[in-house]
Amino acid sequence: MKPAAFRTYLWTWLALLALLALTFGSAYVHMGTFNLVVNLAIAVLKTLLVMIVFMDLARSTSLVRLAAAAGFFWLALLAGLSLTDFLTRS
Amino acid sequence: MSGIAEQFEDVRQQEQSAHLGMWVFLATEVLFFGVLFFVYSVMRARYPADFAAASRHTDVAVGTINTAILLTSSFTVALAVRASQMQAVRLTRRWLWVTAALGAVFLALKGYEYYKDYSEHLIPAFRFSFEAAHARGAEVFFALYFATTGLHAVHLCIGIAVVLLIARNAARNEHAVEVGGLYWHFVDIVWIFLYPLLYLVSRA
Repeated sequence: MKPAAFRTYLWTWLALLALLALTFGSAYVHMGTFNLVVNLAIAVLKTLLVMIVFMDLARSTSLVRLAAAAGFFWLALLAGLSLTDFLTRS
Repeated sequence: MSGIAEQFEDVRQQEQSAHLGMWVFLATEVLFFGVLFFVYSVMRARYPADFAAASRHTDVAVGTINTAILLTSSFTVALAVRASQMQAVRLTRRWLWVTAALGAVFLALKGYEYYKDYSEHLIPAFRFSFEAAHARGAEVFFALYFATTGLHAVHLCIGIAVVLLIARNAARNEHAVEVGGLYWHFVDIVWIFLYPLLYLVSRA
């Protein structure tokens, strides 16, 4: 595999640290439920940065991308099915 | 560069198999940690106020610094992969060592936190004490706190061992460095989610 540009990795790292500062700062602002929404949105964004740039999904084959998505897909499926129990208990 | 094992057509196919194998393993790891995140969600929905109170007892300074350390270690392991792809063996080793060192600093800070939790009687079922109004849900929170951060720490220990072994034996083999790097990034991703869910529940 050809090496990626150093700058790409550097900017990704700086973006991750900026997102960390943002999630930390946002936790001290009163937003009710939106605190959780913002925190999770930032966590997902950081994860995408790590997976696409650092784990090189940007240049991976479709087969590898499918394998990468499969874990999250099954987790969503199993969590969804389990929630049909927890959300319907009276 | 390594040789080709006999079941593969060429180096490219061998490389893709190694990557695919690691990604499939990581998919099972997503399910493994995913269950804990699911339990967390259900329990937090059941005891929202208790989780908020319990989360305020975690050390947000150490948690934030540790997050920065792990994000940086992902950067350094990516640089190790890059160096190995440029056939720069010494540089690869150096970045792998830096990565392992950052992992060790993370564990040391986590150990300090565990000690603090112990002194503050926050370990479930072991002289656990918490303000009575929130004790029930708080104990659930800390059970999940120790289960998730403990399993994460075990994964990080394995990651450090893997990175050091690759630095010693396989820094010349770019596929080994790439696949080891994937595992390291995964451990980082687990923490990316643990950080807001454990430390930032209710700080405002």
